[in-house]
Amino acid sequence: MCLKPSPTHTSRSGGCTLTGALSVTTHIRNAASVIHGPRGCAHHNFSLLHATQLDNEKVSVPDIVSSALGEGDIVFGGEEALARTLEVVCDRDVAAVFVLSTCVVATIGDDIAEVCSRDWGVQVIPVPTAGFLGGTFQDGVNNALLSLADSAEPCEKTMSVNIIGEKNLEYEVGENYAEVARLLSLLGLPVGIRFVHDLSSDKIRLLGAARLNILRDPALVPVGNHLLQRFGTPYIESFPAGFSDTLAFISAVAASCGRNPERALEIEQSLQAEILSDFADIHDAKGVFTSPVMDSGSVRAAQEAADALNIRVGPDEQARPLPVQPVVGTSGIRRMLHRWRRAIHA
Amino acid sequence: MPECDNPLWPCAMTGAAACLAGFDGMSVVIHGSSGCYYYPTTLLHAPLHGTFILENEVIFGSEDRLREVIGGLAGNGNRIAVITTCVPAILGEDIQALLAEHDVLLVDSPGFAGDAEAGYTKALSLLLPRTDAATEGVNIDGICLLDPFYKGNLQEIRRLLAMASIPVATVFCRDSLPKIDTAAACTIGTNGDYPAHVGEFLGGTLGPGTLRATFERLGNTFEGANIDPVLRDLSHQEEEIVRICDKYLRRFDPPSVVIFSGASYAEFAAQALVQYLDADIRFIAFRNTGGTSRFPGGMVRGLNEARSCIGQHDPDLVIGSSFERSITGRRAFLGMTPPLRGSVRLCPVPLAGINGTLFFIEQVLNACMDNSHSES
Repeated sequence: MCLKPSPTHTSRSGGCTLTGALSVTTHIRNAASVIHGPRGCAHHNFSLLHATQLDNEKVSVPDIVSSALGEGDIVFGGEEALARTLEVVCDRDVAAVFVLSTCVVATIGDDIAEVCSRDWGVQVIPVPTAGFLGGTFQDGVNNALLSLADSAEPCEKTMSVNIIGEKNLEYEVGENYAEVARLLSLLGLPVGIRFVHDLSSDKIRLLGAARLNILRDPALVPVGNHLLQRFGTPYIESFPAGFSDTLAFISAVAASCGRNPERALEIEQSLQAEILSDFADIHDAKGVFTSPVMDSGSVRAAQEAADALNIRVGPDEQARPLPVQPVVGTSGIRRMLHRWRRAIHA
Repeated sequence: MPECDNPLWPCAMTGAAACLAGFDGMSVVIHGSSGCYYYPTTLLHAPLHGTFILENEVIFGSEDRLREVIGGLAGNGNRIAVITTCVPAILGEDIQALLAEHDVLLVDSPGFAGDAEAGYTKALSLLLPRTDAATEGVNIDGICLLDPFYKGNLQEIRRLLAMASIPVATVFCRDSLPKIDTAAACTIGTNGDYPAHVGEFLGGTLGPGTLRATFERLGNTFEGANIDPVLRDLSHQEEEIVRICDKYLRRFDPPSVVIFSGASYAEFAAQALVQYLDADIRFIAFRNTGGTSRFPGGMVRGLNEARSCIGQHDPDLVIGSSFERSITGRRAFLGMTPPLRGSVRLCPVPLAGINGTLFFIEQVLNACMDNSHSES
């Protein structure tokens, strides 16, 4: 009898919880992230984070320390190696230390919680990760955000809006944030904290002060719900994608924060009309959407833009490949249309 | 084994993948999670396959999943290699027995087994490369997908061998798989950190002195070879290097230098800097355990160590990877060591051969002069 469950319905390409969690913890300034596992796991992630930071014009490097498990530790247990690493790291001038485990230590069964609970003289926060044994990349992001959220206490509300769970490995992370901040500014609303993007550890205490939380995408709903319960802060479950979604986003934020959206909507509609006018030269083109990963929100936004420009989308001998990317707001559509123009005129 | 801040070098699994993925006719399978698969894929820019195992396969065994992936690859004419990552290696499944019906090359090279060079060497040895007396020409080794200069090195050494009328036999490791079995009796090297140990080694190609000696040996070995065009061009280009470095030294002091690199490139860089610029090599921070050096040096594995090293030796010029660039401050910097992130590189450039030294020296001079100009 075969007792093996079928993996058919489980994503095999969900990535590593460790990478997801690190994309959060390494964005806390003045904190270190300890990866309990072989040196190679830390190098892989360090190299990846380093590359994405350079893409975003950041020259600083994430502070990642590996417990550097070797074959002996794997045979006899790695808890001593973790303790030795924490001794060194906690001796530094850091406000907090995050401990992230790998699939290797999950397999050999190290008791990380026990090692972290010792008196280290500095806050040592274990983040539930176990490489692929802990779930997916997104689980790592969510677990890290939840662990951090629990270190903040409820506080007095201000008229600000938090940004929750930005995709820090995303190539356009800065531009996407700038677009949402621009939309909020149309309603006269400041950004509270970016939880977590380049955030000082002492700012985490302000997590509960916002009037509204905006999640980067719906995969963060468990985090949004946790913050709702802990701080009473409502949330919008995604950055806006596309023209009409952006207008709906402005209305939703305004409703949540008690603002009149009329003027903001007027400005945004005018900007959208201006963009469509700028791309009049690709009216009536024929195209077919292409993308390595096609999410429904991006396709909807792309179709809406195509319809507005009377671009016929579908298989056709003359159809040009139109790249579809995850777009945010009105500005995201404008950048995508530049790529379409290049493809149509190629 | 001590803890390590921001480890600077890839693991054995990545090294094994770099070796095997260089051969056309080989389907390389990373037996592990998607997280372990993504890194070598993004680094090597080569087609790799993965088993993308899940938790239930760790608990109940990965046999079915391995068969599924191998079955999908079987029949395309390629030989299949399976590289184990950490968790399957710990689980200790008898993968060779599981896949007995397939001709699979199993490379047990988990990340905790060592650094990239260890995995590369192990994978290449398992391929059992053989020489064939009937094969003409010379093999080229040290061509590793991990090396940002591998394409340029290969182009350059092919060019020089063509100038000398010497055929190229097998390229380790960027060739068709059957040529593993028909390597020539002699080999010359490029990046010495990735030796093939196949046939008689006639020497390296890093730096004019080494290159000249190697081509003289090639001339003595191959009857039909004509090495004169290579030696003439080498002398001519070396004169150019001397002239331009002399000009530099009329205005500037020789640079003091700290080099972060694999042993082979580090030695080449240090020799060239001393020979042409009378540079002060303050420290070589080796990424791997290479040979001996007349310059002061030692292993540096993590970024904080690298930062201390730069602070302690206070060089004018830092040579290394984009990791070191991020901690170089206002010093001159030259990228020679992987990873070289944050800059666009499209054109293959060498460090080996005549053009390799020209490229290296021009990059050093430009980096130092740019830095002097920005300081002033």
